Amino acid sequence: MEQNMSNCLLRVHGLTKQFSPAGEKVVNDVSFSVAQNEIFAILGPSGCGKTTTLRIMAGFERVDSGSVELKNRVIECQHTSISADKRGIGFVFQEYALFPHLDVRQNVGFGLNKLESKERNKRIDEMLELTGLGAFSHRKPHELSGGQQQRVALARALAPMPQIIFLDEPFSNLDAVMRQTTRNEIRTILKKAGISAVLVTHDQEEALSFADRIAVMNSGRIEQIGTPEEVYYTPRTEFVALFLGRTNVLKARAQGMEAYTDLGELMINRPASGEIKLSIRPEHLTLERATERNCNGLCGTILTREFKGHDITYRVKLRNGECLVHTDNRMPFTSGDSVVVKPLEPAVVLEV
Amino acid sequence: MIPALLVATGVLIPLLYLAIRAAEADWAVSADLIFRYRNLILLKNTVMLTAGVLITTTLIAAPLAWLTVRTDIAGKKVLTLLSVLPLAIPGYILAYALLGFGGANGTASLLLGIEIPRLSGFWGSLVAISLYTYPYMYLNLRSGLLGLDPSVEEAARSLGMSSAGVYRRIVLPQLRPAFLAGVLIIGLYVLGDFGAVSLMRFETFSYALFLQYSASYDRIYAAWLALMLLSITATILFAEYRLLRGKLFHRAGTGTARNIRISKLRWKVYPAYAGVALLMFCAIVIPVGTILYWMGRSLDSSIWNGLTNVLAMSVSASAPAAILTAMLAVPLAYISVRFPSPVSRGLERIAYFGYATPPLALALAFVFFSLNSFPILYQTMTLLVLAYSLHFLAEAIGPVRSALYQASPRIEEAARSLGHPPFQAFLNSTFPLLKNGIIAGAALVFLSCMKELPITFLLSPVGFETLALNVWSFSNEAMFAEAAPFALTILIFSSIFMGILFSREWSRT
Amino acid sequence: MKKTLLIIGLVAVGLFMVYNNRSTADLILYSGRSKALVDPIIERFEQETGLRVEVRYGGTTQLAVALMEEGVRTPADVFWAQDAGALGALSQSGMFRTLPDDIIQMVPYRYASAQNLWVATSGRARVMAYSTTRVNPENLPSSIFDLTNDRWAGRIAWAPTNGSFQAFVSAMLQEYGPQTTREWLEGVKNNGAKNYANNNAILQGIASGETDLGITNHYYLLRSRVGDPRFPVENAFFRDGDIGNMINIAGVGITTASQRTEAAETFIRFLLHEETQRWFTEETFEYATAGLSGTEIRTAYELSPEIDLGSLDNLQETLNLLREAGLL
Repeated sequence: MEQNMSNCLLRVHGLTKQFSPAGEKVVNDVSFSVAQNEIFAILGPSGCGKTTTLRIMAGFERVDSGSVELKNRVIECQHTSISADKRGIGFVFQEYALFPHLDVRQNVGFGLNKLESKERNKRIDEMLELTGLGAFSHRKPHELSGGQQQRVALARALAPMPQIIFLDEPFSNLDAVMRQTTRNEIRTILKKAGISAVLVTHDQEEALSFADRIAVMNSGRIEQIGTPEEVYYTPRTEFVALFLGRTNVLKARAQGMEAYTDLGELMINRPASGEIKLSIRPEHLTLERATERNCNGLCGTILTREFKGHDITYRVKLRNGECLVHTDNRMPFTSGDSVVVKPLEPAVVLEV
Repeated sequence: MIPALLVATGVLIPLLYLAIRAAEADWAVSADLIFRYRNLILLKNTVMLTAGVLITTTLIAAPLAWLTVRTDIAGKKVLTLLSVLPLAIPGYILAYALLGFGGANGTASLLLGIEIPRLSGFWGSLVAISLYTYPYMYLNLRSGLLGLDPSVEEAARSLGMSSAGVYRRIVLPQLRPAFLAGVLIIGLYVLGDFGAVSLMRFETFSYALFLQYSASYDRIYAAWLALMLLSITATILFAEYRLLRGKLFHRAGTGTARNIRISKLRWKVYPAYAGVALLMFCAIVIPVGTILYWMGRSLDSSIWNGLTNVLAMSVSASAPAAILTAMLAVPLAYISVRFPSPVSRGLERIAYFGYATPPLALALAFVFFSLNSFPILYQTMTLLVLAYSLHFLAEAIGPVRSALYQASPRIEEAARSLGHPPFQAFLNSTFPLLKNGIIAGAALVFLSCMKELPITFLLSPVGFETLALNVWSFSNEAMFAEAAPFALTILIFSSIFMGILFSREWSRT
Repeated sequence: MKKTLLIIGLVAVGLFMVYNNRSTADLILYSGRSKALVDPIIERFEQETGLRVEVRYGGTTQLAVALMEEGVRTPADVFWAQDAGALGALSQSGMFRTLPDDIIQMVPYRYASAQNLWVATSGRARVMAYSTTRVNPENLPSSIFDLTNDRWAGRIAWAPTNGSFQAFVSAMLQEYGPQTTREWLEGVKNNGAKNYANNNAILQGIASGETDLGITNHYYLLRSRVGDPRFPVENAFFRDGDIGNMINIAGVGITTASQRTEAAETFIRFLLHEETQRWFTEETFEYATAGLSGTEIRTAYELSPEIDLGSLDNLQETLNLLREAGLL
């Protein structure tokens, strides 16, 4: 699972954490690494341990076993823990945690207390410019909008030029439109500044669009690490498949590169045999109107139709169950129509 | 942690002292002292008075808090200020004034021509103590009401609950922590106070304790009485801990700038004003009027001499004590809020022990311990300020704790992640947010120190005098005219002080 | 933030300065007597002798208990108590040193400790205060023992917790024994006597009509009259030598720990000086103890019973009696 990277910046190995001796392992043997200039996302449902992982790496929680290395230096393990203020890690909190008693300038300059005032002011100006906050520099946090606060939090974390920055659900307090634009802005800023980042989020769309690589976490464990395309198109487990958007999970009997399912015979992405589970994304299926000729016992009926403008999602009743099919809007079926479901891509074999 | 342990040690000193003194008794004699019937009466009286005061203060404070926060009554700021003004009136003055108010030759019949029965005994103590302690309940309930999230009530209304139902099922349960904080501070105050009970002739443990020292110079039985009193305190604190599971120390809330639902009073505003007027008459007009009446009887203007000097001395002890107390309250509140555990909660509760220790016993303990361990500190300002702080710590902890609940721990972590070491991070991020809580706590302690007597008597440097000491000294000799200017100065100075405090709060919103 | 730190710093410096220059005095006095009664005298003493006196004011009780707690470490040179009981208690615990003969001889023998440990500076008589509107002076009881009489049922006020009252009970105990004293205490109590916190409260009670008679000290009435000349209360003595006419005293002693006995003795001599004594009579309405000038003072002295005030230190028994009678 762990990749060997020559430009590795942050390396996490076997991280484990329990809050009470008898309790569950909130973080269970978590390992990954983040490269220089990479944006890494930890994606998972709430309570999966992703925030705890982040807080351990930042130095806000102690670890029970395992280690965190930053630039090949151990900053956290069972025996030693470098204090949070000495790690050189930027942190953007979900609720931003801006200092309410300080204005924007003072907030951004908070981590620059070791610089001389001239240099400090210069850096603050740079950050304000980078984040487009110049006009608000003397406002107090409560006088800013959510998006502006968000950018102040980012500017504040970036100002001391950390080697890496941690973002804990930073977009969750923004509305949908803001979320998207802010996300793009911040990604641009990070890439421009050449700073690595670890993003923690429960929003798959956010992880997919923001990160270079994604770790999907469930119940304290990492289920899969990969590029957005990898985790989306070739999920390793049923959890990953289901968590990253809609999918059809099918029971199948496999032999070689083929499997038999309720949809009929499907190509699969790797050889397998026996009883297995498959995942096939709705957009990898298409529909045809059922005719005498193409309906060899595997046709179904449209149950519902969800029109979303540029595309349509159909729920199709099969003989032994249902499946979702995503088509473009040139296929105007209505509920009750008899259809045939056709795969466009091989289905993905899931680990049990 | 270290300041917390220091506080704990400081508060436990009186306990140790009392134990040492109590152990000097013959066991047969002390068994006699402990198991006599009179103690049962004292216990009954103490419990009755405490319960009575708690009920009365709640009945006064709850409507008052509602009136000044949640209604459209005009002059809210003035009403708020008036409501806390009794904090500036020394308890013994109020008791004296109430004592002298009724009866055939009382101020009521002399000045107003109406003869009302003289207050004394249980009812006298109840009225007097309630009138000068209700502001503690009022302040707690007020900040509780201000801290409520209006959207919760709106949600309840939208679910079809009536206005009265919202109060019963939503507002009151949420006010419980604020209410219990008030209960604790007032309950423990009643246990330790002997100013009013001795003047009103009502025998409680604290009164019996005071008598024991004054009647017989008997430090041994007095120590036993004090220990019995403290065991009541311990019972209350333990009960709170076990039965309420620390609910008391949950977020009590401080003022927010949010829009609060305001009830329209319409015609009911008149009875409301009438009720407030009656309260103000009893709690402010009677004592202040009595003071002015005393002054009026004196034609000598030289009584004002030396007043500024005494005022300066009063402040020079009370102000550092207030600051120190608030500073001690910060670490105690901090560890109990941020690292909740039986140990940290226990440490915080210890502060309440210091509050309920009768001040005379506390002062004697400090005499004993400073002479035996740090004689150089004896009768210095340092020791006086320290004793004040340990005694009044409980008053400062509440507001600091509420402020702390409002300051997110994330803010401090943010400061850490920006390269500030732990203490510096606290100082630069959380501490500024505690400012209002600290100021409020310090203010309460300041007002209490200005009025304090027994600790001042025994621990102040030789030649040191305070306003309160002069008031006591003159009124004790029935020289009320001479006592009046000092009493009035306490009152005026404390009121100005509170005015400044509230104007700070109002300027924020 | 910076401002707060500045304030704390200033306070710390201020504190240091305050206790840095403490105790430059030539004499330290603990005074259980009020500032109002003591300050003018101290001022005059400093003027006359050039000695600087620092006074610690407090309740007689509190200071006496504190003195016992301080023991040999006490900074006090002189203790000025408001009643003989405290002086007795401190003598008993060895807190006082012997006074020179010339001081002792300045007052009648009754006004000094038998062991020469303290000397009285002023006196106050126990009297019966009565309502001028509800009591005919001709019908007043002639002895304090008459207070158990039905005629006074529910009309008497006393202050069982008051030091002067307790001193008086101690005197009765010494003269008449525990049996009689207990009977008297219970008799008066069962006669419906009302308990008051102090003498002043008794006078207020009589004036306001709560009660008709009160046993108290003579000067409270005189002081009340300064503010209100029509105060409807009058004082009366019992018959000659009655224990109810007892004179209690305020007095001073020098602590065993004192290193400045000469200054302390000078101070006591000053207190017993004719002029100071006159001041007590005229300003605080007490009785002089050195040189019994004035007819009222002489009358009071002559009417008062022959009692050894030095033995009033035996308060424990008095308190037990009071407790047994349910008065404490």
